[in-house]
Amino acid sequence: MADYAKPLPEITAESKPFWDACARHELLVQKCRACGTVQYYPRGVCAACWSADVEWTPSAGRGRVYTFTVTYRTQARGFRDELPYVLAWIELEEGVQVMSNIVAVDPAKVAVGLPVRVTFDDVKEGFSIPKFTAA
Amino acid sequence: MATKTLRDKYCIVGVGETEYSRGSGRTTRAMAVEAVRKAILDAGLRASDVDGMLDYQGGDSTFAPHVAPDLGIRLNFYMDVVGGGSSTEALVGLAMGAIETGMCNTVAIYRSMNGYSEFRIGGTGARAAQPVRGMDLAQVPFGMRSAGQTFAFTFMRHMHEYGTTSEQVAHVKVAHSKHASQNPKAVQKERVTVQDVVGSRWIVKPLHLLDCCLETDNATCLIVTSAERARDLRARPIYVMGVAGRVSKPRVDFHWAHGPISRVAGYYAKDIVFGQAGIRPEDVHVTGSYDAFTFTTMLQLEEYGFCKKGEGGAYVSSGIIELGGKRPNNTSGGHLCEGYTHGMSMVIENVRQLRGTVDDTCPGAAEGKHTHDYSVGKCRQVKDAEITMNLGWAMPATGSALIMRR
Ligand SMILES: [Zn+2]
Repeated sequence: MADYAKPLPEITAESKPFWDACARHELLVQKCRACGTVQYYPRGVCAACWSADVEWTPSAGRGRVYTFTVTYRTQARGFRDELPYVLAWIELEEGVQVMSNIVAVDPAKVAVGLPVRVTFDDVKEGFSIPKFTAA
Repeated sequence: MATKTLRDKYCIVGVGETEYSRGSGRTTRAMAVEAVRKAILDAGLRASDVDGMLDYQGGDSTFAPHVAPDLGIRLNFYMDVVGGGSSTEALVGLAMGAIETGMCNTVAIYRSMNGYSEFRIGGTGARAAQPVRGMDLAQVPFGMRSAGQTFAFTFMRHMHEYGTTSEQVAHVKVAHSKHASQNPKAVQKERVTVQDVVGSRWIVKPLHLLDCCLETDNATCLIVTSAERARDLRARPIYVMGVAGRVSKPRVDFHWAHGPISRVAGYYAKDIVFGQAGIRPEDVHVTGSYDAFTFTTMLQLEEYGFCKKGEGGAYVSSGIIELGGKRPNNTSGGHLCEGYTHGMSMVIENVRQLRGTVDDTCPGAAEGKHTHDYSVGKCRQVKDAEITMNLGWAMPATGSALIMRR
C-alpha cells in the first residue's frame, strides 16, 4: 500500500467530500436540493437549475456498463504492469454515469450492459479509489 | 430566421507546409516560419501584405509574436489559441471575422508541432509530465491518459448500437493508404488491406494499431483574405462557402451522459455550415473527415448526413470514399497515412484539389494537368472537384466544419 505507483487526483474543494467518503467505502453523487437533479462529476453548482444548494447523497453503487475499452498499451504511470485493463463508463441506478475500471473480470467477458457493483481499492492510508466489478 | 452567411466573401489564397517527418531536428519556431513563408509565396503576397496571425497549440508550440518577427511581419491582429483537431476550420472563421471587422486585412493561420519527437499526442514524452487537473480527476486515477482511450468509448458504443464492425471501419485506413501511395509527402506510403488493419495489434480495444493516426513533426499554414483582394493574386482563389467552429454537444465535458455517446458534434454543426453554404451533402465532391482514428472519419460522415445515422460502416466500406469513388475522403492520406497535423493538412489538400493542382507525380501537376490514373504512385487529383467539405474533430464532443468551392 505504501508503494502505490499510479497517479492520484488533485483534490479540489468540490471533490473533497467525494474522496473523503471513498475512504469510508461510500460512493457519493451530488443532488440538487432545489430541483432534485442528480449529477456526477462534482460541481459547485447544479448544472440544471444553477442552484448552488447541492448536497452529497449516497449511491447504491450498482449499475451497468454503458461503454468500455480495453487498454493494451499505455504510458500511464503504474498501469503498465496491469495490461490489459478495462476502462468503463458505468450508468448507476441513480441515473448518472461514472468513469472507473472494471476489476476482477476477464476483459474478454466485459460487455455493454454488464451489471456491476462498486468495490474500493485502498491505495494508501485514508485514500480509496472506487472501482467496479461484476455484480 | 435565415442563417447569417459570408458565403463567397472570403478566400483561402495560400497554403504551405514543411516536410512531414519523425524527427524534424528543428524548433517549432523554425518550422512555423517555413510554413508561413511558403504559404505567403504560394499566394503571391509579400510579407508586408500579411497583418494578421492566428495559431493553435496545446502548450507544445511557438506563439505568433515569435514567428511574425522572423518574417519581418508587423501585425495588426494576432491570437494564440489553445486547441487541437477542431481548430483549423474555426480559425478560418475567426480570420474572416477579424478581417470583416476591419481589424486586419490578411491572416496567416499556422500550426507547428514536433508531434513525434517532442510532444506525443499518445501521452508520452513531455506531455506525460503534465500535472493532474480539471477533468483528469475523473480519468487519470483510472489509467486514462491517451486520445485513443478517450475516443474508443464512442466507437465501442456505436458497434453495440448499430452493429458496426472493425472490418468496415478498416476500409477508412485502406482508402487513405491508397491515397497516400500517390502522395510524395506522405510518411506512410504503403497500401494496406482490411486484414492488415484488423490483424494489427490492439492499442485500445476496439482500436488496432492501424486504426490510429501517425505522430508527426511538421508545420502547416493557410492564408485567408477577402475575395476582393484574392482576385488580384497569383493562385486561383478558393472561396469559403460556410464555416462552423468548435460546435459542441450538450455538457461537452461529460457528453456521454447527456445525449447518446455515438452522436458527435456534427449533428449540431451541420445546420450552421450547410445553412451558410446553401448546399446539401450530395453537392460535395470531396470530403476531409478528420481521421485521428478510422472510426472518427466514419462517425462524422454519418452525422453530417453523407449517409443515414448508423450506416457509416456501410458507407466507408462501399468504395465511395476512395479515389475514383463518388466522394473521396482525405485524398492526401490524412492523419492515418500522410502525417498528423491537427487538421491543417486536410484543408490544405482540399484547397489544392479545388485548384486542380494536387502535388502528386503527374508531370504537369503544378499547371493542373493530371492523368487521373489512380494506381500506385500515380495521380490523386479528383476530376472536376468543385466543392469540398472539411469535418474537423478534437474532443469527442466538439467539431468544426468548412465548405469551400473553386
Ligand atoms: Zn437544480
